[in-house]
Amino acid sequence: MDAERPGTDLVRVRTGMYHDSVSLMRVSRAAAGLPGVEVAVVAMATGLNLGIAAGLGFALPAAGPADLLVALRAADADAAERAAAEVDGLLAGLAAARVAGPAGAAEPPRTVRAAVRAAGGAATLALVSVPGRYAFAEAMDAVEAGLSVMVFSDDVPVEREVLLKRRAAEHGVLVMGPDCGTAVVGGTGLGFANVLRPGPVGIVAASGTGAQQVACLLDLAGAGVGHILGVGGRDLSAEVGGLSTLRALDALDADPATELIVLVSKPPDPRVADAVRKAADRLATPVVTAFLGRASGRGPGDLTSAAEDVLRALGAEVPGWPSWSAAGPRVPGPGRAADSGPAPDHAAGDGGDRAAAGRARRLHGIYAGGTLCAEAALVAGTGDFTDYGDDAYTRGRAHPMIDPAFRLEALAAVPPGDAVLLDVVLGHGADPDPAGRLAPAVAAAVARGVPVTVALVGSSGDPQGLAAQAGALCAAGADVFVSNALAARHAAGLTGGPR
Amino acid sequence: MGTRPGARRIPARTYATGAASTVLRPLLESPRRPARVLAAFPAGVYLEVRTALEPQVIAVVTGQAVRLPNAMVLAEPVPRVAVGGEASVGDGSIELGPLSLRVRRWWDPAPPLGPADPVRLARSLPLLAELCDASPRRPGLEGRDAAELLAEGCAEASLLRSLTAAEQLVGLGPGLTPSGDDMLAGLLVALRHLGAAAGVGRAVWLADWLAAAVTFDARGRTTPISAALLLCAARGEAGGEVLAVLRALAGRQPLRPALGRLLGIGHTSGADLAWGLRIGLAAVLGLAERADRTGRTGRTGRTGRTGRTGRTGPMVAEVGAGGR
Amino acid sequence: MSLPLLSGEPHVITAGAAVLGEALDAQAVPRTAVDWRPPLPGTEDDLARVLADPRRAAANARAVDRLTSARPLLTGVRPAREVLDLPPGTFLHAGPPIGWERASGPMRGALVGAVLLEGLAGDAAGAQELLAAGRVRLEPCHRHRAVGPMAGVVSPSMWMFEVRDAEHGGIAHCSLNEGLGKVLRYGAYGPEVIGRLRWMGEVLGPALAAALELTGPLDLRSLIAQALQMGDELHNRNRAATSLLIRELAPALVEAAGRHAAEVLRFAGGNDHFFLNAGMAACKVSADAARDVPGSTLVVAMARNGTDFGVQVSGLGDRWFTGPAGVPDGLYLGAYGPADANPDIGDSTITETAGLGGFAMAAAPAIVRFVGGDVADATAATRSMYEITLAEHPAYRIPGLGFRGTPVGVDVTLVARTGLLPTVNTGIAGRVAGTGQVGAGLVSPPAAAFTAALAALAREAPIG
Repeated sequence: MDAERPGTDLVRVRTGMYHDSVSLMRVSRAAAGLPGVEVAVVAMATGLNLGIAAGLGFALPAAGPADLLVALRAADADAAERAAAEVDGLLAGLAAARVAGPAGAAEPPRTVRAAVRAAGGAATLALVSVPGRYAFAEAMDAVEAGLSVMVFSDDVPVEREVLLKRRAAEHGVLVMGPDCGTAVVGGTGLGFANVLRPGPVGIVAASGTGAQQVACLLDLAGAGVGHILGVGGRDLSAEVGGLSTLRALDALDADPATELIVLVSKPPDPRVADAVRKAADRLATPVVTAFLGRASGRGPGDLTSAAEDVLRALGAEVPGWPSWSAAGPRVPGPGRAADSGPAPDHAAGDGGDRAAAGRARRLHGIYAGGTLCAEAALVAGTGDFTDYGDDAYTRGRAHPMIDPAFRLEALAAVPPGDAVLLDVVLGHGADPDPAGRLAPAVAAAVARGVPVTVALVGSSGDPQGLAAQAGALCAAGADVFVSNALAARHAAGLTGGPR
Repeated sequence: MGTRPGARRIPARTYATGAASTVLRPLLESPRRPARVLAAFPAGVYLEVRTALEPQVIAVVTGQAVRLPNAMVLAEPVPRVAVGGEASVGDGSIELGPLSLRVRRWWDPAPPLGPADPVRLARSLPLLAELCDASPRRPGLEGRDAAELLAEGCAEASLLRSLTAAEQLVGLGPGLTPSGDDMLAGLLVALRHLGAAAGVGRAVWLADWLAAAVTFDARGRTTPISAALLLCAARGEAGGEVLAVLRALAGRQPLRPALGRLLGIGHTSGADLAWGLRIGLAAVLGLAERADRTGRTGRTGRTGRTGRTGRTGPMVAEVGAGGR
Repeated sequence: MSLPLLSGEPHVITAGAAVLGEALDAQAVPRTAVDWRPPLPGTEDDLARVLADPRRAAANARAVDRLTSARPLLTGVRPAREVLDLPPGTFLHAGPPIGWERASGPMRGALVGAVLLEGLAGDAAGAQELLAAGRVRLEPCHRHRAVGPMAGVVSPSMWMFEVRDAEHGGIAHCSLNEGLGKVLRYGAYGPEVIGRLRWMGEVLGPALAAALELTGPLDLRSLIAQALQMGDELHNRNRAATSLLIRELAPALVEAAGRHAAEVLRFAGGNDHFFLNAGMAACKVSADAARDVPGSTLVVAMARNGTDFGVQVSGLGDRWFTGPAGVPDGLYLGAYGPADANPDIGDSTITETAGLGGFAMAAAPAIVRFVGGDVADATAATRSMYEITLAEHPAYRIPGLGFRGTPVGVDVTLVARTGLLPTVNTGIAGRVAGTGQVGAGLVSPPAAAFTAALAALAREAPIG
């Protein structure tokens, strides 16, 4: 027995068993919590996952990506066997759930093509979230069947994206993605999406969290959002040329319920931006463009000012955006997020009380949303910003909006005297209680003299409860803003950085 | 030992989620109110919520049931509850039997139909008539005087005859939603949506008058469930099957399958609704033609993005004044 | 552009992360979940290339339409030497090309029998010497618009069914069925085997030919469709089809065959598989109609020679893609067991290629025990084949599935994506030459044959 690694290793390979990474992460987490278990890796035996298991010191047999790896390290052989049995039970549960399906069908279809046939003409959309290198086939099935498709998967080669979108044009359908994290179609939230009241605004988004921020602010202000058509982060690049953006604009223009279109993106390729602007000008429906840092309205070019432009275009009132201060006075404001929890505070954005007590040295932006991260960096104008939703951090594991592990590590590593700015995104698909998972780390940071500011992106209808999440984060010592831009300005103020 | 007072067992709550019509949003966002089970079926439960103004009815249904404009659709079976049983609605949830229901999706029961070319609508009428006549699903009041009178009154744009017929039809027929009510509901949404879509102001005006007439004392003349649905129809709110037929009549989707799904509803409900839609479409076309012939301002010409198709009150004044 | 999904009720197909599907369930959005698993290892790039081929969808639609619209008619029975354009000294065999060295026991036995039948050697030893010396040229039946069950050996003096496709004008042939037990197609070559073959050439063939002259062409498409509704799957069960065929031919046989009529009827009626060979020719002529559509990924032949399992694909001409033939899993006759079994052999997989046999298993509850399962397994087998096929057959329908058309037209890309291999019903030949049939069962083709075809399609797909 290795002296450095006490306990018993148990490694099993289940051939021909497949489950998606998020489901397996849940099993891993459950296994790691079993009595006597020190380490648990339950994952498909991809090169990456085999590397992780090998790095943890497991001796591994030959296995491939179609096999399922169970690697357990426990205090003794008994505990390992008990845990293995438990893991088998959990895997059987996953298989049973998958086979039963929502309709209780006995033999579930194995491809999107077969599923379209099984749905008997009822299908309106396909949602593909298989690993990126396999996504093309499933998405193509949908397009060829005349269905629009949302490709949640990332890591799809750009030439396949272009091909898919060209083929979609031939079939008169829309391809949302690849790497489209957020869509709302007629109120149905797909991927990471918020519970929104339907209404006259349609959003075309090359940026998922950017669209979530704009939509949630509109929802909080009482303006309805009928659709968010995601197009994928690369759609407005020179290679893809805005193929889906142009189609989505046309589709929303033709939708009788959509009275105003918002186009949300990080700064696009200049030539594509021109083409999109020209197309937008031709539409009968007015279009507000929110290209981060280059908005078409009169605001400073952040997402909050874009949302305010939209409200003004609708003839609606621009409210004071709710915020909750950990220390400051709690003044009820005109915000709409008052179901429970602390009352919102509208005095934020001025640097807060702590500014007087001494400035923080450095600002750390620890983000899950790419566009939110970019926006915060732009607005704050200072600090180190990391997007933990970037491919570099998500390859082979779950998105930080589901699994906060990387962000918790980063938060724990911030030295006293520095400040932290992070985003918490609510809605379908996201962690059911992100505040609960982050709160201990936030409280620990605050206790060692690290002020924490949170941009809380959510709607009042979201499953997690906007006010409850705000309350939990606030109770842990964070200053909470529903506007990422306001949060960034507040956090920058703590470090005396540029406004 | 007997039962100790105050030791009532509180059943464990199970959380369930689903989708709901935005009609229910104000009720759900209000502080909790008591409610009562009006009717219970395997595919749905009807609740009556006591409010300050007048009671409101909520349908809690499964995905297999008809998606009514006042419904919350569950992803799972509805709980078995007894008629007359207690429930509550508000503070973000519906408490029904052992279930605590929360909404994860909202839909609009009166989405704008968008502009529709009257020529296109005119082509839909013979097809609608043909499909309805060919269907074995018959409306419950076919051949009855009031039904005929309503069709004639609408066709002649006679407010008096239409109102007379409508008042006779409220609550007429058997069942939870009497045939007369279903026909009126179909007529009201057709006049309002198709009228707005084709820019026929007189049709919307007629819808306003009929809506005011049938909702005035509906609660005293028909079942609470039917009265609630009439109120929805008066505001232009309809179930998914009716909305699909309206889109089809406007040429936005195929008519045959959409009508097939509508006709399949209930015993005669679907056929009654379709009958109402048919009278409504004929009336809209007749009113458009009349306006063209007389050169009056019956056609507003604003077939574009006029926004929402009508909340009864202001619309009566606004369109009524313009129409005269 | 208007998108219907923006209005109306949603119904979402989900493939991938369960958590995203559950979020839709929570919203009471109706959905159809795909039970997705990774494709066969190493195929993802080839799949992407082939699926991106702009010709594919239309090519497959055309190819499978030709396959399912074929109208095979039984038009005649003739000697192989008249119809097959066989050069002297050439024998045909089942499956992809193979030489004597790699040939399995039953294949060698059948070749020996054919040499004896043709009088090219005096005894088995002489025949083996001749064959080992390469003095007989061996070619696949498929290359000559023909198919043969099991060893599928055809020599010039054997008589063949002739089937023509009234829709597309093709023609195909298959030998006459010898019956069960010790027969040439299972590698037996004893005197009784050779004697029977001579009788088939002298009596059976001419009698059938004369009868068909009287009846005129028989519509096999209609006959197969009826047999499916009478419990045949047309590969391992041909009892209904055989009866129907005899019913069609009997009066004409009596008129045409005179004193041989009774023995011919007794022979055909005593062999439940008499129809198999006519059915195989019908399937062959249908599958051939789907050949040579550029860009099509449709399988137009699956065949085994006892050593290799091979497939041919519409878009890839007459190239074979092979993998090792597997040993069937099934029931064994008498004292035989798996150790006596030869690897999979025969062109009879043409039935599965055309949507019958294992693909129509749900039609044949009577033989599900014979192939080692129960009725639910048979239904599941047929249902799973819809996953890898391009169409449902418009004429071949299964009563037990609500008269749904049989799954037809294997798509190489779907095999690679699902990892589901065609379900094949088959007889099992003894390993040792001359043993004959030892059992029957189900067999799985090697995945390598399909992935090799996919790789070739990927190489030929236009770039971009």
